[in-house]
Amino acid sequence: MATYLIRRLLLMIPTVLGITLMVFLIVALAPGGIGAGLAVQGGQMSDTSKVAQMQAYLEDRYGLNDPVVVQYGRWIARVCPVRFGMTSLESPSGERIPVPRELPEPPMQWAFAAPAAFEVTFTPQSGDALVEEFRALQRDAEGRRRTYVGSVRAFKDALADHVRSLGEPWTSRLDPKGGADPQKFRDLPLDSSPTTSPAQTDAATQGMTATWAKVNAAAEQMHLAWSLAEEARQRATIAFKARPFPAAGIEVIRDVVSIDSPDFGVAFSRNRPVWDLIKTALPVTMLINLIAFPIIYLVAVPTGVLASVRRGGAADVASGFFFLLLYSVPVVLAGVFAIGFLANNQYLGWFPVSGLHDSAEATMTFLPYTDESGAWHRGWLLDTLWHLALPVLCLVYGGFAVLSKQTRASMLDNFSADYVRTARAKGVSRKDIVISHVLRNSLLPLITMFVGIFPAMLGGSVVVERIFTIPGMGSLVIEAINLRDRELILANTFMISSVSLLALLMADILYALCDPRVAYE
Amino acid sequence: MQSRFGLKDFFTILLLLAVLISVWLSMTQRTRMELAIDSIRVKLGEMERQDALLQRQIEKGFASGVPVASGAAPAAAAVQGNDAWARPGVAITRWTSPAPATDPAGIPGFAVGGEFTEIFEAQPAKLVPYIQSDVYGTRVLDRVCEALGSFDPKTLKMVGVLADGWQIDPDGLWIRAHINPRARFSDGARVTAEDVRWTYLDFIGNPLIEAERARSTQDNLKTVKVIDEQTVEFEFKEPFFTNTLIAFVNPVLPKHWYSKFEPSQINQATGLLMGSGQFKMERLPSGPDNIDVQWTPGTDIVLVRNEQYWAEKPPLDRLRFKVVSDELGRLVSLRNGEGSMILPSSPQFNKVLRDDADFEKAFYALKWVNMRCGYSFIAWQCGPRAGKALTPFHDARVRRAMTMLLDRERMIRDIWDGIGIVSKGPMNPESPASDPALKPLPFSPDQAKALLAEAGWKDRNGDGILENEAGDKFTFEYTYATGGEISERLARFVKDSFTNAGILVTTRPVDWSRYQDLLKLRDFDAITMGWGNNAPESDPRQIWHSESTREGGDNFTQWRNADADALIEQGRRSMEEADRMLVWRQLEAVIAREQPYTFVRVAPWLRFVDRRFGNVNMYRTGLQPEEFFRSSVPVPAY
Repeated sequence: MATYLIRRLLLMIPTVLGITLMVFLIVALAPGGIGAGLAVQGGQMSDTSKVAQMQAYLEDRYGLNDPVVVQYGRWIARVCPVRFGMTSLESPSGERIPVPRELPEPPMQWAFAAPAAFEVTFTPQSGDALVEEFRALQRDAEGRRRTYVGSVRAFKDALADHVRSLGEPWTSRLDPKGGADPQKFRDLPLDSSPTTSPAQTDAATQGMTATWAKVNAAAEQMHLAWSLAEEARQRATIAFKARPFPAAGIEVIRDVVSIDSPDFGVAFSRNRPVWDLIKTALPVTMLINLIAFPIIYLVAVPTGVLASVRRGGAADVASGFFFLLLYSVPVVLAGVFAIGFLANNQYLGWFPVSGLHDSAEATMTFLPYTDESGAWHRGWLLDTLWHLALPVLCLVYGGFAVLSKQTRASMLDNFSADYVRTARAKGVSRKDIVISHVLRNSLLPLITMFVGIFPAMLGGSVVVERIFTIPGMGSLVIEAINLRDRELILANTFMISSVSLLALLMADILYALCDPRVAYE
Repeated sequence: MQSRFGLKDFFTILLLLAVLISVWLSMTQRTRMELAIDSIRVKLGEMERQDALLQRQIEKGFASGVPVASGAAPAAAAVQGNDAWARPGVAITRWTSPAPATDPAGIPGFAVGGEFTEIFEAQPAKLVPYIQSDVYGTRVLDRVCEALGSFDPKTLKMVGVLADGWQIDPDGLWIRAHINPRARFSDGARVTAEDVRWTYLDFIGNPLIEAERARSTQDNLKTVKVIDEQTVEFEFKEPFFTNTLIAFVNPVLPKHWYSKFEPSQINQATGLLMGSGQFKMERLPSGPDNIDVQWTPGTDIVLVRNEQYWAEKPPLDRLRFKVVSDELGRLVSLRNGEGSMILPSSPQFNKVLRDDADFEKAFYALKWVNMRCGYSFIAWQCGPRAGKALTPFHDARVRRAMTMLLDRERMIRDIWDGIGIVSKGPMNPESPASDPALKPLPFSPDQAKALLAEAGWKDRNGDGILENEAGDKFTFEYTYATGGEISERLARFVKDSFTNAGILVTTRPVDWSRYQDLLKLRDFDAITMGWGNNAPESDPRQIWHSESTREGGDNFTQWRNADADALIEQGRRSMEEADRMLVWRQLEAVIAREQPYTFVRVAPWLRFVDRRFGNVNMYRTGLQPEEFFRSSVPVPAY
């Protein structure tokens, strides 16, 4: 059993990775791609090139420009508990601070030699002054990086303009959006370069076309920005190495290997840590499902038993008919009816329309009570149940049919089994046969169905959540996909797939426990 | 057999579980109550502090004979006398403290107190100034934060709010503003020039804070200088009219409070929102230690009256914003009294009024056009599609003909149930930038046919379809976003209208995220969309200038017009409002003549508001919940 468990658990790792990679690829390769939700609608910003530079910066910040596989790999590295490379630091507010990122190289170095690499040395301060210093350097590095990324963008724009002025065949190499990827212009004729013209004050622009002069100017700007950004980055890195904050997690070998809790990152569509989002959405969905599933079981299983015992009788036909009828009512319709009639004061008005709690919930007591004037107060518990009534109803009614039919079928299977005939022949009472022999054996297939509720809990019910405005997992998953939020999609997929796999494993173990015929060796 | 798991055991376990869960829930509830108590404690502490401050001021006042800065009279005195803050030689515009546009106090039934609940369709992701980006967050933010100025609800002119006076450089390179000495943040701290400087340079300007959008709009800002405690000066790189917007409409944040938090805490916060407005967040952390007190999505947003407000306080006690995502659910909530205001859709608005004769006895049904109304349009590809072939729409005559072939009056009647007015151009009809004399192009298939013939498109072989000289049929692709009944109906109408005129239309529904791509790639013949609005005038450069045909620009129709470019450049640099409006009207005329878009409809604001609230006025800026009051006059039962 133990070896079996270990084998299954180890197999889960590649399976989960495979699932997350698949889902991520599908979303990333769909039109729009990752980060489509980040697209900026303008109308307010005055300068087109500035908007483009801002987008370039956002893409750089969230790493959207990297190949899909690289983005995925970076995510794996963050989720994996074993970390390699420079250890992140943890600020007092719990923020993980990674080492300042390397700058992307200035493009088109064959035409415009990059500024020489240099090394900054300085002695960072210590103690509290170091924290202040590091914060300032961090801010500086980020600001200069932004300028640099913007200047790269401006350079590419200038290059695109120059290419356009050259005409065919060069223009056909431009991106569909009109941008120029420097890699495609390796063989671009370099206009007479400034070094060949006589050294005069304004010689720098002599003998050049106007557009090429602009490319040169942009390159110069870019290199200047690079130098400044690189210097700021190195300073920030030196201060970082001096450890203004303690290391995050457990360091095994300093700045080589460390162990840290998985970091699901920040959802860029909402700018909040993914874990926070899941932490608020998950309990809501769990609560609803934990109420709904017992109800389904408590109604469907006895009905199924009854239907099988009185096979073909009125109870069988009626329950079958009624449950199938319910099964075929779409949830959307049921939800609208529930709101329109059950919640509407013009009709019945028994239930609240939306949400999980009353407006005054924060001041409610937990249990109901009657005050001095005899007025009855619902209390928080009843209020919550009252709010949950309609969503749970919508979640429950469709589930009866499948489970009761399943119970009925498996009961009938067992009724015709040899052991039942033997029991009958021995003179065992009918009640004992049904309850202790047939029912117990018929519940085995229900185990498989039972574990299915765990992934369902994580996935949430999109429709019910939307109709009744419940901030659960369903809305979160849908939103993640609609906005193409990389972190949120990956974290959700990761959780849903690992919980599904664990649930399947649990089902197998439960089989072994309940059924002596099943054993894993 | 002894260890058999019986029914009794099952129920025992169930009971045990129920008890455990109840205990846990009661504990969480307990903590929440404690949080509520905590916020009361914070508030008490705040009041004590304020009390102490007042005491000190009174004492100081007695000692030195300086008038105490409270009440209306001393403030007025402060405004007239001292101009030491101003630059000499430049006119000063003075403002009194903000007052309600319509004073509620004189209206019958006026009472103080009560809660107003606005129902949103979707949850704002966060309520942090400059970092939040959705329309819902902005609506909450506008109640809590104040800027140096704002648009007057009746005249749409820029008036001072936090500023009691300002000077604008006639050359447009600097603006100097003086902050009203009475202005206080909701925790009682004074609003100072340093707060303004900090907001611009160290909050928006801090690259570690994810306010990238706000940062980009302020590109023209060179620096912000503190002149004295109450005076601040903005310097700009270029003289653009948008400079006044940059300086006056951005909310001023309290430096002493926000600087307690790390940038990463501000980035990931959901409800760090403090300002000097008439309402404030019910729960606010006092610092990083109890940062969890802040509002989080998934719960109602509650604003309470800012008792420390420095000018006239609002009548209502509380504003609540709750989310109901289902359309019917919103209406039922309003009828049940769980909400006080909803935003109905156009079909819902008319349907409710038609079906329910008594509805208007209990609710105001408001419909009006204001400065925040956007317009919808069909954009024609005036340049090469995706950098390849030209579409028939490169010819302005064809574009005009397309507009004339669409009966926009009927579209509004049939598609939007008669709600809306025909749009004539990019300027908001309420704005002085729009020329009232300019009329939209008429619906006239005959004129359209003539124009098309002039442009070379006529039925040459008698098959009922237009061809050009080369014999190519007039055909184009109409792109629209999936997922809305309105856009489907619009697509059908467009197809029918053009097919009748002998133009072949293929429709192409695409997903919204793909839409953005198509716009960026300029990969469409005709595409339908809408532009929103939030100010009486906005900079037209991003949409209409030929420079904006480049990537990052919103001129996705690739419409290039030298006249328009010149007018845009002229208008942007024109600091005098009256002159500028004339320029914008000329621009509007150029766009109307060229028709890069077929302007379809200006969507009015629609609101259902509970009649139990008084002083609900339809302003040119929208609604002013600060002026609402819960009426003491009973409303007929509904």
